[in-house]
Amino acid sequence: MIKAVPVSGSFRDPAGHVFEHEGRIFRSVTRYGRASFETVLATGFLDELVQTGALLPFERVEDAALLDLFPEAELLFEHPKLTYVSYPYEWSFFQLRDAALLQLDIAIKALDAGVVLSDATAYNIQFIGSRPVFIDHLSFQPYQDGAYWMGHRQFCEQFLNPLLLRAKLGISHNAWFRGGLEGISTADLDKLLGRSQKMSIRMLAHVVMPAKAQRDAMRKSVGTTKPMSQRKGLPKASYRGLLTQLRGWISGLHPKGASASVWGSYSDDNTYDDDENRLKAAFVDQFIRSVKPDLTFDLGCNSGAFSEVALNAGSKAVVGFDFDQVALDKAYHRAKDKTLNLLSLFLDASNPSPSQGWQQSERTGFSQRATADAVLALAFEHHLAIGKNVPLEQVVEWLVSLAPQGVIEFVDKNDPTIQAMLAMREDIFQTYSQPVFEAALEQVASVVEKKQVTKDGRTMYWFKRHD
Amino acid sequence: MVRVIFKGLASFCAIFGLAIAMAAPAYAYLDPGTGSIIIQSVIGGIAAASAFGAMYWSRFKEFLARIRGNSTSEDKADNE
Repeated sequence: MIKAVPVSGSFRDPAGHVFEHEGRIFRSVTRYGRASFETVLATGFLDELVQTGALLPFERVEDAALLDLFPEAELLFEHPKLTYVSYPYEWSFFQLRDAALLQLDIAIKALDAGVVLSDATAYNIQFIGSRPVFIDHLSFQPYQDGAYWMGHRQFCEQFLNPLLLRAKLGISHNAWFRGGLEGISTADLDKLLGRSQKMSIRMLAHVVMPAKAQRDAMRKSVGTTKPMSQRKGLPKASYRGLLTQLRGWISGLHPKGASASVWGSYSDDNTYDDDENRLKAAFVDQFIRSVKPDLTFDLGCNSGAFSEVALNAGSKAVVGFDFDQVALDKAYHRAKDKTLNLLSLFLDASNPSPSQGWQQSERTGFSQRATADAVLALAFEHHLAIGKNVPLEQVVEWLVSLAPQGVIEFVDKNDPTIQAMLAMREDIFQTYSQPVFEAALEQVASVVEKKQVTKDGRTMYWFKRHD
Repeated sequence: MVRVIFKGLASFCAIFGLAIAMAAPAYAYLDPGTGSIIIQSVIGGIAAASAFGAMYWSRFKEFLARIRGNSTSEDKADNE
C-alpha cells in the first residue's frame, strides 16, 4: 500500500502534517498534538471560526481505508482544496494588511475563548479570491495563565515590519520578503528607521525595544539569559493589550505618499469607455464563454478590469498577476468591493517566484504551483519582449505553455507605448514584428480568431495550443 | 623549577582559554524570539494600560455627549 506523503512545506510542526492525496487535502494530528488539539476542539472555537469564514473548513475522516494511508495520524481531517496557493511575498500591501488583521482578530477572539496561537506565520493565511482565510488548525493551543505571546516576533517580522517598510519608508516588501522568506527582521528595520520615526510608543514597543533586547541578550554569555521557566509570565490583560494595540496601529497604515484616491480609483480603468477596450472586452467575453475555464490566469492584470470581464463571462476563478504595486492595490480593491473571485498577485514575469526554502521545495515556484485552463495576456508581451529583451519567440512559447487556450494581445512597434519604451534607448529589436509573432505562435498553437483593436496595430489572438 | 613554571603557565592558559570560551557571546545559540519575550511584560503592560485608558476615555466622552444631548433636548423642550 502506498502511504500518503506530506506536502513539502509541512514539516515544522510535530503535532501534524498536511497531505495532498489524489487531489484531496488531508491533515493528520499525531500523538504529540492530539491532546492539545482535542482540548481546543472541545471549546467549539474552531467551529465558530469556520462559520464566520475566518478558518478553512475541516471535516473528520473516519474511512478506515483512507486512515490506513496515514499511519502517523491519530486523527485525520479533510479540507477543501484551495484554487491557488499564494505567499506573502506575492501579496500587495493591502492584502498583507488584511491578512495581518485577520491574524490579530483570530488571536484576540481566541484569547477570549481560552485559546492561543502557537505561532504567527503569514504562510498560515491564504486568499480565497480577495478573502483571507486562516489555514493552520494545529496552531491553536489551550491558553495557560501567564503565557507569553510566543508569536510576537514572528508576527512583527512577517506582518508588521513589511507593512512599516512601505508605510514609513515607501519600500515594497515583496523582493525582500521573497529573499529572506521569513519576513523582515526587526533588527534590520530598526537600523533603517530614522530617529524621529522611532519616537512613537508603538514603534518603540514593537521594533526598537525588541531589537535592543535581542542585541543585549546576544552580547551576554551563553546560558546567562533567564530561561522561560524562571520568568514571571505575562498577565492576560497585557497579552490582549499587545494584540489590540497592534490591531489599532495596523488598521491605520497606508502606503507612504499615496492617497486613498489612487488605489480606490480602479473604476477609472473602465473597459467600456472607448472603442479599443470595448473590442477587447467583447473578444475576451467570447473566448471565456467558449472555453468555460475553472481557472484563468490574467498576466499583466492591471486594475483587474479584464479579469472582471472573464469572471462575468463564466470563468470560475481568476488569478491576476502584475508587477505594479498601485495596479495590484486597485485590483485587490475591485475584487473586495465587488466580491469577485479574483486573486491579484505580484509577479515579475521575467523573474517569477522560484521554488525555495528547505530543500528548495518548501515554497513552490510559479511554474510548478498550478496550471490554468485559460490565460489572458493583454498589453503584456511587449513588457517582456521590449522591456526585458526576451526574444519574441520565447515570450510566445512561455505564454502558450501556461494554458491550453488563451488570448494574447500583440502590440506593434508603432504603438505609442512601445515608442515611449524606446524613447531613451537604442532600438535593438529588428526582428520584433507582427509576422514574426504570428510565425512563433503558429509553431506552438493554432489561431482560432484574430482581431485588430487599434489603428496602431494592436491585435488580439485567441490561440489553441498544439498538445 | 622550569617545569613548575611551565605547568603553572599551561594551567593558566587552560583556565584563561576556558574563561574566554565560556564568555562566548550567545549569537547562534539564542532563540530569535528572546528579545521579544524579554520586553513583553513591559510593552504589554503599557499596551494594557493604554487600552484601559482608552476605554475610560471613550466612556467619559459618551458621558459628556449624553449630558450635552440631554441639555439640548431640555433646551428644545423649554423653547417649545
